[in-house]
Amino acid sequence: MAPQHETRTTDAPDPEKHQERKLSYPTETPSVEGVPAPEDSKGWNRERVINLLIRNAMVIVLLIVMVFFALRNDRFLSVANARTILIAAAPFALVALGQTIVILTGGIDLSVGSVIAVSAMSGAWMAVNYPDMVWLGIIVAILVGTFVGLINGLVISRLNVAPFVATLGTLTAASGFAYVIGGGAPINGLPESFGTIANTRVLGLQLPVFFMIAGFVILGIVMRYTAWGLRVYSVGGNRTAAEVAGVNAKNMLTSVYVLSGMLAGISGIVLASRVISGPPNLGKGYELFAIAAVVIGGASLMGGRGTVWGTLVGLLLIQTLNNGLDILVVPAYWQAVISGVLIVAAVAVDMWASRRSSS
Amino acid sequence: MHPVLEVRNLEKAFGGVPVLRDVSLSVHAGEVVALAGENGAGKSTVMKIVTGQVQRDAGEVLVNGESVPHIDTQVARALGVAIVPQELAPYPDLTVYENLFVGREMHTRFGFLDRRGMLNQARQMLDVFEVDIDPSTLMNRLSVSVTQLVEIAKATTWGAKAILLDEPSSAIPDREVDRLYAVVRKLRAQGVAMIYTTHRLAEIQQLADRVVVLRDGRLVMDEALAQAPEHAIVRAMIGRDLDSLFPDKVEPRHEIGLTVRDLQVERGGPTVSLEVRRGEILGLGGLVGAGRTEIAEGIFGIRESHAGDILVGDNPVRRNSPSAAIRAGVALVPEDRKGAGLVLLQSVLDNTSLPHISEFSTLGWIHGRERRAAVKQASESVSLRSRGMDQIVGTLSGGNQQKVVIARWLTEEANVLLLDEPTRGVDVGARGEIYAIIHNLAATGLAVLLISSDMQELIGLSNRVMVVRDSAVVGELSTEDLQHEDVQERIFRFASGLEQNDADGTAA
Repeated sequence: MAPQHETRTTDAPDPEKHQERKLSYPTETPSVEGVPAPEDSKGWNRERVINLLIRNAMVIVLLIVMVFFALRNDRFLSVANARTILIAAAPFALVALGQTIVILTGGIDLSVGSVIAVSAMSGAWMAVNYPDMVWLGIIVAILVGTFVGLINGLVISRLNVAPFVATLGTLTAASGFAYVIGGGAPINGLPESFGTIANTRVLGLQLPVFFMIAGFVILGIVMRYTAWGLRVYSVGGNRTAAEVAGVNAKNMLTSVYVLSGMLAGISGIVLASRVISGPPNLGKGYELFAIAAVVIGGASLMGGRGTVWGTLVGLLLIQTLNNGLDILVVPAYWQAVISGVLIVAAVAVDMWASRRSSS
Repeated sequence: MHPVLEVRNLEKAFGGVPVLRDVSLSVHAGEVVALAGENGAGKSTVMKIVTGQVQRDAGEVLVNGESVPHIDTQVARALGVAIVPQELAPYPDLTVYENLFVGREMHTRFGFLDRRGMLNQARQMLDVFEVDIDPSTLMNRLSVSVTQLVEIAKATTWGAKAILLDEPSSAIPDREVDRLYAVVRKLRAQGVAMIYTTHRLAEIQQLADRVVVLRDGRLVMDEALAQAPEHAIVRAMIGRDLDSLFPDKVEPRHEIGLTVRDLQVERGGPTVSLEVRRGEILGLGGLVGAGRTEIAEGIFGIRESHAGDILVGDNPVRRNSPSAAIRAGVALVPEDRKGAGLVLLQSVLDNTSLPHISEFSTLGWIHGRERRAAVKQASESVSLRSRGMDQIVGTLSGGNQQKVVIARWLTEEANVLLLDEPTRGVDVGARGEIYAIIHNLAATGLAVLLISSDMQELIGLSNRVMVVRDSAVVGELSTEDLQHEDVQERIFRFASGLEQNDADGTAA
């Protein structure tokens, strides 16, 4: 036994968290004991409104961006354009959702782009070889995605490899597999029925838009009303404390990466269905896009803070921006520059706002 | 002669709540002033003002008799006022000498780092302290106490004339404090003025020339050590006699609540056996690092144990499984409240409901109303003061945070309560409340295991005390023993290995 350190279950103190704790100190000291504030003061005083605005800073940014584009071009505010934005956002929605949950645990999943590719390629391969059984391709694609997620989860939770490194590994390996499946080339000659998944329209909207809506609604509910959701937040907020409270953190971490992989698998099959082929570079760069949406949505990369709703706002903000700049005929390269600047600016605004609201 | 450092009529409030009210104190060259007081009394704030980390609202700070209108950290450093913080922040992946010279590196003629020169000078600096460290060791190889000595060395080499030591002994094992004391005395002999914050009375007696006590932001005592007997210091710190904090003890019931048989936490190490009756508070005494935390964590299953049996009532509990322990009604209040007890970013509701979340959910679906009702009841039973259940736990005071840590085990029926330093970092007002909560829980029939390094607390609350040294139980004191006047000394003798008895209580 090494008696020189006071034994505790915590690992080496995380410098970031540490700082957070220190920052919280001044607010903690003066808390007046014995003065319970009224349980719930209804009524709209000024402070409440300001707090509400600050808490939804990103929604306001989104509205400002929309107003800006609407004033510049009247084509922007139309049902057709709203539909365009939703359709453009849909393919990213599921991976951004998975990424949200992973980031809530303090992790990151860099592999989703490649998981899209490898599951799309396996689905496409199945569809070419068993053209009568499209559903088999779908199932295989989802299973492949789930499997990669399981590997991520096990490597991270059991072998204690940092999520960044573990998923960087699967990012590279899964991408390699995607090319192996197609022999280095896209898989073509898929049955037409393969396209029904992505190209069927309901109420003038393609199915993936409904997948997006369903995904946000379901996970929104899961995160708020289930024990699993609460445990995700606890493991991300303070893993040791969660373990002391009986949460099996390893299983929680594994489940989160499995979910992310599964959602990427679904995205893969949807994307392949849209083009009715299997390009091995499908989904490239989606991981960074997804991370951007999550972070704009107010999630902390340290874990424990963020919401599914925030990610939706982040996703829509990015898409609205791209769409609006398209309408204003801003060249694509400049669009990238503007998007990049806005991502950082949005997060800076959010940090400022959350500091305001906590002080 | 002017004092090296003096503050006059210092005032400070955070968010409208005063934390310092009209505080004046001074320290002369070659003097050690013990700054005592409970948590939240304002000790740290004084230190932070003097070192420029926090700005004062009113009052004056004088260095060598000259008033300093504005202090920031740069100014403080230039004036020779240095602090060795409670939570050290070295550069763990740099060497000792690099740590010593960061910010005032030595250069060669060509502008490169003069590593040889720094190494030599570092060696001399450490030799002065008679500390045997190779300056080229990596900082993260050093124990906390040695790291602390390096930090003190750093302060002196910056030319500090006044050094503030913030609870320096709180993070290091008792057997290493002697080295710290030696360094403090050496610095005093060199004419350095020192302010030393501590809770420990023994330490004040050993080191201080003068005692200054703060309570609730006010200065309540400033005396030469000779004029400040121990009980007077205690009374000044807590504002009343300590005994009044402890409720009367209750008679334990007959049924055994917790049985631990031959629990071996460390492979090949000693085993521990103990029984706690329902309604009984069994204290675990011993020095910091004696292995008490490990025993509690082993019982709870969060720390791996290798052999032994654990029974709650008559039912065996699977070892190494916190969730099995929780199902059996075992509750752990860990020593490190913020690190292991709470998710600070989450609400009171979420924190309190986490351990028993499956009890208010069906197939993972949380029943909101049931959960709120259970949390409400549990928080009321510990008289939690919060702005409602949705308040973020990180914004509660230390005492109320600790109540949340306890309350979260009370949403379902608990049988065994393992408390590890339950009042660490809790101010004195809330401390009495927590004692009452513990006492009431025991009275309802819980078996309570109480680990405490606070001797008064251990004796004041426990029905029985076992003393642990090197992971083994080395002595036991019955209820009658605890009423003896020599009880503190006996516990200390067991804890430090001066005395030993076997399990049946006969002295050897």
